[in-house]
Amino acid sequence: MTGLTTEADSRDGGPAELPWRVLPDYQCFGCSPANERGLGLRFRHTPDGGLACTLAFDRAFESYPGVVHGGMSATVCDEIMGNLLVLRLGVSVFTTSMRTRYVEPLAIGATYHCTASTEAVAGDTGPYTAHAQITDAAGQAVVFVTGSYQPVTPEQAKARMAMSDDEVRLVDEALSALRTD
Amino acid sequence: MSQTHTKDEIIRTVTDLVATEFGRPAAELTPDRDLTSVEGADSVKVLRSVARIERTYDIELEDDQVFGFKTIDDVADAVATLLAERG
Repeated sequence: MTGLTTEADSRDGGPAELPWRVLPDYQCFGCSPANERGLGLRFRHTPDGGLACTLAFDRAFESYPGVVHGGMSATVCDEIMGNLLVLRLGVSVFTTSMRTRYVEPLAIGATYHCTASTEAVAGDTGPYTAHAQITDAAGQAVVFVTGSYQPVTPEQAKARMAMSDDEVRLVDEALSALRTD
Repeated sequence: MSQTHTKDEIIRTVTDLVATEFGRPAAELTPDRDLTSVEGADSVKVLRSVARIERTYDIELEDDQVFGFKTIDDVADAVATLLAERG
């Protein structure tokens, strides 16, 4: 386990309920609570329409001694940006590229805050751009990421993901509900 | 950002972003000021400034440029070039 936590703070706009919860065997490495080796990220809405989460890594995710592996911070940013777009647009998305600017290494055991934002709105056809930023306890940004994402149709999801027809339908219904919110 | 930006506008924006990150008054940061001579300057502050500049203009500066920046004018030139290429 990573020791990841989610804490409410002044930027809290309430918990974000991801559409993937409708899958009986949802194992996403980033955000499934059922994946014992995953990050178990839990997101919260921010008042400005973004998403946020807190994170802290133990030594299982170490790179240099005491330093969090850079791939982990990129993974968290990818997760939060992708899920922000899914919640905002009501469509599944695939990551097509990410640009990561590492300003300072993350320390093992320290708590950080990650936020994501996007200007994409319902009806946009993609590709979509989102931004994520990890800040330390002092509020200093330590990682900046910009990601590009493409929408995934139910047909593409069925072709590229290991889901049954019923599971595709369940996810599509959950995404449709987001589009009508 | 899709609008056109003059070099002076870019310099003003870059100066403000660098001043914020460096914790120094913008008036202290003339375009030709050697950034390493600014009180409290370090590579982390430069990198954080660059990240904010990239975010502001939605551009990606190459690392060999980033680690070669000496002045705000250098940064503004690189930003202006990328924006001109994007059209």
